[in-house]
Amino acid sequence: MGIPVSIKSLSFAYHNAKKQSIKDINGEIRDGEFLVIMGHGGAGKSTLCCAMNGIIPRFYHGDYSGNVFIAGKEATQYNPSDMARNVGLVLQDFEAQLFSTNVELEIAFGLENIGLPSFEINRRIDRYIDFIGLHGMRKADISTLSGGQKQRLAIGSVLAMEPYVVVMDEPTTDLDPLGRHDVLSLAGLLREGRRTLVMVDNEPDTAVYADQLWLMKDGEIVAQGAPDRYLADEELLVSCGVMPLQIISLFRRMNWQGKPLTVEAAMELINKNNLVQKREQIVWKDNKIFGGNDFFIEAKGLTHRYPGASCDALKDVSFGIRRGEFVAILGQNGSGKTTVAKHINRLLKPTSGELLVNGKKTTTYKQNELARLVGYVFQNPDNQIFASTVKEEVGFGLKVLGEHTKTIEKNVAEALYVTGLEGYENRSPFVLSKGERQRVAVASVLSVKPEVIILDEPTTGLDYQHQRDSLEMLKRLNKMGHTVVIITHSMWIAEEYADRCILMKDGEIINDGQTRTVFADEDKLVMASLVPSPIVRLSNRLGTKAMNVDDMVKELGR
Amino acid sequence: MNLSIYRDDKTWLHRLDPRTKLFGTTIVFILCLCFNDPFYTGSVALGVFVVALSARAQKAIWKLRYILLMLFLFSVILWPFFTSGKTVIWTWKSLKLTRESILYGMAMGFRLSTFVITGLILLATTRNEEITDGLIKMRMPYPLAFAFSTALRLVPTFAGAGATIVQAQVSRGLDLESKNIISRFGKFIPLAVPMFISAIRYTNLLAMALESRGFSPNAPRTFYYEPKMAKKDWVILCFLIVLLLVLLYMRLILGMGVIMPGRI
Repeated sequence: MGIPVSIKSLSFAYHNAKKQSIKDINGEIRDGEFLVIMGHGGAGKSTLCCAMNGIIPRFYHGDYSGNVFIAGKEATQYNPSDMARNVGLVLQDFEAQLFSTNVELEIAFGLENIGLPSFEINRRIDRYIDFIGLHGMRKADISTLSGGQKQRLAIGSVLAMEPYVVVMDEPTTDLDPLGRHDVLSLAGLLREGRRTLVMVDNEPDTAVYADQLWLMKDGEIVAQGAPDRYLADEELLVSCGVMPLQIISLFRRMNWQGKPLTVEAAMELINKNNLVQKREQIVWKDNKIFGGNDFFIEAKGLTHRYPGASCDALKDVSFGIRRGEFVAILGQNGSGKTTVAKHINRLLKPTSGELLVNGKKTTTYKQNELARLVGYVFQNPDNQIFASTVKEEVGFGLKVLGEHTKTIEKNVAEALYVTGLEGYENRSPFVLSKGERQRVAVASVLSVKPEVIILDEPTTGLDYQHQRDSLEMLKRLNKMGHTVVIITHSMWIAEEYADRCILMKDGEIINDGQTRTVFADEDKLVMASLVPSPIVRLSNRLGTKAMNVDDMVKELGR
Repeated sequence: MNLSIYRDDKTWLHRLDPRTKLFGTTIVFILCLCFNDPFYTGSVALGVFVVALSARAQKAIWKLRYILLMLFLFSVILWPFFTSGKTVIWTWKSLKLTRESILYGMAMGFRLSTFVITGLILLATTRNEEITDGLIKMRMPYPLAFAFSTALRLVPTFAGAGATIVQAQVSRGLDLESKNIISRFGKFIPLAVPMFISAIRYTNLLAMALESRGFSPNAPRTFYYEPKMAKKDWVILCFLIVLLLVLLYMRLILGMGVIMPGRI
């Protein structure tokens, strides 16, 4: 087969774009290799994926120069159905990729397009449905699958066309940790089968197993080669918007020998070289630093059932949140996190039980009174952005609440200041980056000055630097006295920023307490199919208090 | 929330060839147009409803119960104002209510509901892909057939996106509860713009996904669920055609089932 993909000085600028999205890309992917591409938002990763598949320049027109060779033939020479047999592309948004009514028809769709006879289609469905772990679900309705299953189906339907190369563009970004695990283990199987695989993924633990790593920055490849060379380079990773591996950072800063990539490897090195003195294992008990019962938000026996559903999405949940807390709600999709949060600003009403805000049932508030107390930022900022300028967008909430122009101007200016969007007043929100649009969404909720701000997965799809920026902003807001509630799949974010965590599973709260206590109880987290980040697992094993690299260095350095 | 209408099952209607169902639906539409007497259109409606029960499509009908009820009520209430008959029941100034116009309104109510129910039966018993395949087999060009079935497929997707957008704006204080129609219209933009953008974004991704699965509208393709006309398909088609001829005979030659002559 030789060289499946070979790229020679490839540059591309989208039609009407001022600057090039990718610049002078060179590279080769050999047969059976696993390539991981990482980079910050807007670095050109997706553009590169599309170019490998010929969607650029066939579908997206623009200024194209250089060559992409697929199996020795130039990509632009293929027609779509031939290209689909050579390079399969899996996108981040699994909902948009699936358009059939059941599992087998989804897999069949591509095969019908390349004109395979019915019996061959049947044979391939049989083969690949097992491979993607959906056996016995041939006739299942796609809308009943979980996110992980959907993404595996998207991969399976591309695989069934038996392409030489499978390209996956951030296949796990929209998934919960369980779904991510699902998809990564499928990628692992592909790797074992020596299938040529290209994956865009910003989590460094994926890259650990890669044959090649390409790091992208501003449209260029800044590092290309074996991953272990670059994964230990903290500065390089951060400059490309990638979170550095915590354990490697720890070892470097402690001046310890070795670059262990996993917790187990790190423990082995620590034990072998006797790097840490034996400590007494701390027994974590909730020491109730948040004494008292002056709850600002209180759920009492909260139960919710969606119309037409056969079981309760929330089962008799009770908790209280005090003013000024920074709370993270953790759990898989479908565990009830969003359902709980939507009760707080009455997007949902309890089926039974009650939810009190400031001592009053949410159902007794007028909607606009509640909007002043509780702000809710949705996961996707594009669900709410509509105005032609940032100023107008951010002032919208105040305007509909009937505030005076002066108040609106003052509050908008403050909200823009806090979110770091000063100077953006008259820009169009639509042309901003994803991270900036997310901040506009936060600002538009902040301008109303609600006491509580709820954010549903505020960091999804953002790169490391933007995630940090968003969380630092939330931390500032929290210091200013706002109560912050985030729903997140990202363990390190909960560990580093939340004072308190509520762990949910199947509509029930299975753990609730100080973040350190919740993360010390790994068994409970495993029950919810969650795993703490490497540094916390290491910390749990060493008996330290730290939950991030900085604190760990301080604690061990004493 | 599941907004799709199709229900996976194996009733006799599910197993028919999609062409039979598409053609049959068209015939039933014409049947509805045969009469304008509520007893006759009502009988057609009843017949269609029995078919719906036999295909276990009542759930789909239940989902749209309010729309059906509104259609029926509006038609019964509004038609009498636009038609006139001989037997006057009640007059007020220039307004005149006649027995014929009320009956005509009811007939139209049954007719419209039957249209909707027939469409629902088709969608509840036929997969999207089967509709595409059926249309292609009926010589509709592939791009057109695919566009048609994709449009059907996108309705629940966009409805879901719309619900999220409404929630997102309501939680910013957008008040959709007020009754004032004029102020309501102004609230349309914060909903319409994100809706429009998400539709464009979604369609774009869909197009990319189609491309990467080797979709090209004019290339020859095969069918995994190859539709085949069986004996029962022909029997049903013959039955429907005969039924249509009989009803046309009743209306056109015997003049039965007419409340308002000269109107469809």
